[in-house]
Amino acid sequence: MWFKVKGAVQLNILEFSLIYLLLIIVLVIMRKSKIDQTKLLLIASIRMTVQLVLAGFILTYIFENPHPLFILALLMAMILFSIRRVLSKNKNINRGFKWAVSLSITISGIFVLAFFVLVVVGETFFNPQYTIPLAGMIIGNAMTGITLGLKTFTDNLKTGRHKIDTLLNLGVTPKKILIPYVNNALETALMPTINSMLGMGIIFLPGMMTGQILSGTLPTTAIMYQIAIMVAICTSVCLTVFCSLNFGYRTLYNKRNQIMISRL
Amino acid sequence: MQGTLFSTENLCFNNKIQYDDITIPKGEITFISGESGMGKSTLLKLFNGVLTPSRGRILYEGRDIIELDTITLRKEISLVSQEVFLFDSTIKDNFKQFYEYRDQTPPTDDQIRKFLTLCSISFPLDKDCTTMSGGERQRVYIAIFLSLLPNAIMLDEPTSALDDKNSDIVMGNIIMFCKKNNISVIVVSHDKVLADRYAENHLEIGKSVV
Repeated sequence: MWFKVKGAVQLNILEFSLIYLLLIIVLVIMRKSKIDQTKLLLIASIRMTVQLVLAGFILTYIFENPHPLFILALLMAMILFSIRRVLSKNKNINRGFKWAVSLSITISGIFVLAFFVLVVVGETFFNPQYTIPLAGMIIGNAMTGITLGLKTFTDNLKTGRHKIDTLLNLGVTPKKILIPYVNNALETALMPTINSMLGMGIIFLPGMMTGQILSGTLPTTAIMYQIAIMVAICTSVCLTVFCSLNFGYRTLYNKRNQIMISRL
Repeated sequence: MQGTLFSTENLCFNNKIQYDDITIPKGEITFISGESGMGKSTLLKLFNGVLTPSRGRILYEGRDIIELDTITLRKEISLVSQEVFLFDSTIKDNFKQFYEYRDQTPPTDDQIRKFLTLCSISFPLDKDCTTMSGGERQRVYIAIFLSLLPNAIMLDEPTSALDDKNSDIVMGNIIMFCKKNNISVIVVSHDKVLADRYAENHLEIGKSVV
């Protein structure tokens, strides 16, 4: 064989910078197609660079000083950031609902992460090499899932007003009225993850697996990690959305069985 | 008169709408009229506990509704709102779905036909409700509520989508049916002709002397 699997080539800064040249192609195409987003592309590229460089420094520091407190702090920052993102996209939900979402992201994320690191990998929870990248993927995907789930849930409730009023007037309990909306939103939130599982390996090689192979991991090991992370993501999306909506919908009605869509 | 269905005491909603004390007799046909924005629809929603008054009391058959289970109350007092909602499927399936929500066995085809006829609907049961006119949908909607045989039925502008002739026929049929089955009827309507013809009691909201 003319090559063999080995650790990734260390990129030097100059060679690495050449990758930005490809962006010129994007810029030219955008200008030609009159897509007025060149500024956004530049900002996005710069932000990505700065954010990742900072993340790189932080990770390097933590890997050299793997203190549990650092890992906990980083984990908390990830969770808080994702909660903030979700809530900022769903500003109008009531306080109780916000608590339901926040606790669901936190508890489901930590549970799935702990199961992965402690049981499947068999490492300690405070090993940054596993906990940090896995936490990012698990919590990040849960964030996307619950954002989609909440949006579907609130949009459907708003368009379903007449249905909800009619059923209330017929003496149907709020629980019975709202549960179909919860289930429907959960299904919608799960579909992207399930669909990506369907195409995985044929249509595209997933990011984590690509990364591991690039860094010299045997494809067979990379595949096992990829399968494990996909199952973990699917579970965390499912748990987060299920818990958020199932605890959240109860904040939408009171003891008099009045549903307050205005509290969304 | 068989007693009182609803009575209100110093009723106020949202600190904006203040109602005169009202008494609605049981087993009779009561029409409520008044200018828009006077709180006619709101009053019906206060009666079935979908809204809560900010002040005052509502008595249902002598009991304060604040002490009653609202689910039971709403099953006994059906409110047919102005905004019609039907599932995007056939007439028969609509009956089935609403009955399932109420945990009741759906009516037989013959029973469904009986209530449709009552509301002047002569479509086959597999007719798709999405292809019907506003007036037809409104009548199917009323037929479903009637078929559940409540103690009282509150109709909010029940003939708003119907022409005069159909309004008269449908209203006449509904009232005859309710009288026969001892169902109290409360109708919010702008239609003076209808009110004059069918009302046994007529409440005017908003104009009476405070």
